Amino acid sequence: MTANRSLYRYFVSIDLNKMRLDLHTHSIKSDDGRAKVENYCKWIQKKQLALDGFVLTEHRQFDADSDYRHLEDEYGLVIMKASEVETDFGHVLVFGVNDDLLAAMDFTDIRLPIETVLDESRKAGAFAAPCHPGRKRVGLFAHYEDRGIVEGVDTVEVLNGGSIPGEDELSIEMAERLGYRGFGGSDSHVVSRIGFCATDFPNQQITDMGTLVDALYGGNFSAISMRPRSGD
Amino acid sequence: MSVTQIAKFEDLEIGDDLPEESPDVSMPKVMAFCQAAKHVFERFVDHEAARKEGFPAAIVPGIMSQGFLASMIHRWAPGCKILEIDTVFRGSLLVDSKITMTGAVTDTDEEALIVELDLAIIAEDGRTGVIGTARVQFER
Repeated sequence: MTANRSLYRYFVSIDLNKMRLDLHTHSIKSDDGRAKVENYCKWIQKKQLALDGFVLTEHRQFDADSDYRHLEDEYGLVIMKASEVETDFGHVLVFGVNDDLLAAMDFTDIRLPIETVLDESRKAGAFAAPCHPGRKRVGLFAHYEDRGIVEGVDTVEVLNGGSIPGEDELSIEMAERLGYRGFGGSDSHVVSRIGFCATDFPNQQITDMGTLVDALYGGNFSAISMRPRSGD
Repeated sequence: MSVTQIAKFEDLEIGDDLPEESPDVSMPKVMAFCQAAKHVFERFVDHEAARKEGFPAAIVPGIMSQGFLASMIHRWAPGCKILEIDTVFRGSLLVDSKITMTGAVTDTDEEALIVELDLAIIAEDGRTGVIGTARVQFER
């Protein structure tokens, strides 16, 4: 099965010359998530979505227990696990969560200092980036006007599948002004919203969290919207 | 996307959409619902009172939203049995606004004739006010 998966990725890579991943999804492991991971896979396959994989970013936790390798093999997708934590400057995605990081901060704390999240993630070899920064209250930029710019942020989610008109536009404008790199994620909580936004990694092979973290630090990626158009 | 108007199990596939609907959430309709359900609170039936509670305007009761979703399922598949409907209220739906309900088939069990659905209600500003899922049993 592993050989099949590798073959699939090879052809995807040759055909599209890039990896496309949805970096922000939630499953039933999140308190407000209603998507089963296998149903995400079935949906991607049935709808022939141009996705090579997705990252499960469960709220205020890291799901160390779930093993989705059988689904990776069956559906030819890369399925990775990360976290969405809550800080005093809004929500932040953390990729590459490990024991060091779990020991360094309380993922259940809904007012983590953002500097702590950024610093501890870097020390642990993980990568932290604010998500939906253009959103009121839970977005990074909502706090910038009153509290100033946070040192250490260099990447934000500029396209989020749950954004209303104006939020992503603000994210893109502010990211450009501040020189931040941008990625995309659907922020799906139900199956049918996976892949609304994603991230392209040109000329890169991402097969696990280690290579994803390296790619995020490398900075060679871009956000893409794949929201269905009205009438499709 | 394919849209199934009246669903028969054998015609369904993962990815099928339920027809979108925009239920009437004008104040008279919401007030009538609240009175019928004995669920009358100012935040549902009085814009000014709702604003004093911190809402932008009067809000649609959650049980009314869930009822709308259930009725959408039954219009789509008359005679089906809703085994489970699970909703998450992520944001307010305002009375006297336009809201839109959507649904999609996300899994099918051919032996048990059960489908799983995604459900959502989108507020007028584009924000998703309610998400949910349902398990629906079809007749043999």
